[in-house]
Amino acid sequence: MQAIKPLSIYVSILLALLLQLLPWSGWGLLLRPDFILLTLIYWMLRAPQHCSIGTAWLVGIVVDLINGGLIGQNALAYTLTAFFAANYQRRLVLFNVGEQAGYVLALLLLAQVILFVVKLFGGGEAPGWTYFLASFTGIIFWQIVSFSRLGNDIHLHPH
Amino acid sequence: MDNQQPTAFFIHGPSPLARLIFFAALSLSVMMADARLHYLTEIRLGLVALMHPLENLAALPANLYRGMSEYLVTHNTLLKENRRLTLLALQQGVELQSLKTLASENEHLHKLFGAAKLIAQPAKLAEITHTGRDPFTHKVMVNLGARQNIVAGQAVVDQTGVVGQVTLVYPFSSEVTLITDKTLAIPVQIERNGLRAIAFGQGRDGTIGLPYLPANVDIRKGDKLITSGIDGIYPAGLAVAMVIKLESNTDSPFARITCQPVAGVENHFQVLLLSPSSPVVADGRVINENAIKATAPSVSPSKSTIRALPHASH
Repeated sequence: MQAIKPLSIYVSILLALLLQLLPWSGWGLLLRPDFILLTLIYWMLRAPQHCSIGTAWLVGIVVDLINGGLIGQNALAYTLTAFFAANYQRRLVLFNVGEQAGYVLALLLLAQVILFVVKLFGGGEAPGWTYFLASFTGIIFWQIVSFSRLGNDIHLHPH
Repeated sequence: MDNQQPTAFFIHGPSPLARLIFFAALSLSVMMADARLHYLTEIRLGLVALMHPLENLAALPANLYRGMSEYLVTHNTLLKENRRLTLLALQQGVELQSLKTLASENEHLHKLFGAAKLIAQPAKLAEITHTGRDPFTHKVMVNLGARQNIVAGQAVVDQTGVVGQVTLVYPFSSEVTLITDKTLAIPVQIERNGLRAIAFGQGRDGTIGLPYLPANVDIRKGDKLITSGIDGIYPAGLAVAMVIKLESNTDSPFARITCQPVAGVENHFQVLLLSPSSPVVADGRVINENAIKATAPSVSPSKSTIRALPHASH
């Protein structure tokens, strides 16, 4: 594992932001994984010294501004998710691929549940169960990255 | 793993829990400031303008694809479309002639009553750049903004009916809340009997509902809802929705009425933004079907009758 430049973290988050900004609509929007959160989790596991809870909060605020909803909701969801990623970072990198995927899925679902609760408090309508599909496409995306070369760095025992 | 940086092993600074509490509290206070105090609107406007190039970049692949498929339309398709449009123009030309007569007659009557003169303001054609990214709301973004003199509150229509309303204006784009959104209400009238009501978006299934109407109300399946024009935002006579379901519960004094929007609320690229005071509206079917309604009562009926009274007393 070589030293990671903070710049590569910011560039990858910017790329994730671009992916998020693509004009998704309909089923595409429902199935779109949260690329930004996935990127954040990836860096929190791989480079916890550069990507911390503060980074997650800041990125969350940017996402809120772009989405045009209530400012702070994504920031809160990302902060909490980042906490659970950071707190168990040392254990997570020792997990095998399956265990890690399970934990990341739980993190993605946690972020969605937080957003869900905030929206319901804000008087929004409840979307159907399809709302949570994004977490599952997210974990599929995570697995693809996991099995690629990039994935070698986020678990020490890839079996 | 020997060459791993020591910093990776010992994270300096406050503990994760302390950070969590700090940033969660910060998020909550930001949310409060945004929702209750509306302090952050200006900041958001500025930042969204900054993000605009990024959004354009993200929209590039889709635009390219659309441009390509437009370019590759076959000769045959174009010919067919051309023929159809020529026919349509012919039909509408005939209707337009009678409209001119009606308009001049209408103007004459307005003068007679001393009512405010109707000024036709052209609607602005906008293109939908993307649908809202939030699955909890029904919103779309269009490519006109404050730079094009768009203001919040403008009605948005397409060729078949009302689509929604501009709710947030950024420098280069604006946010349109669709009539199916839970937060949008629109004053309507049943075309058949003139009954006034207020329609609310229901969010689910892209439908709108008519709450607070008694169970024995005179509404039938298939009734058409048009704008009543009493809010001064939507011109009167625009098609809004069609009643598709009527339910009356014995334990509730109100009827449950579900309607389907007439306009292609979820599927089109171009929409028209009307200015709030604009009395004459849109092109196409709206005018054809409601030619008289769309021009005449747009200065709200109540206003003209009030102004007409002193004249009548003389």
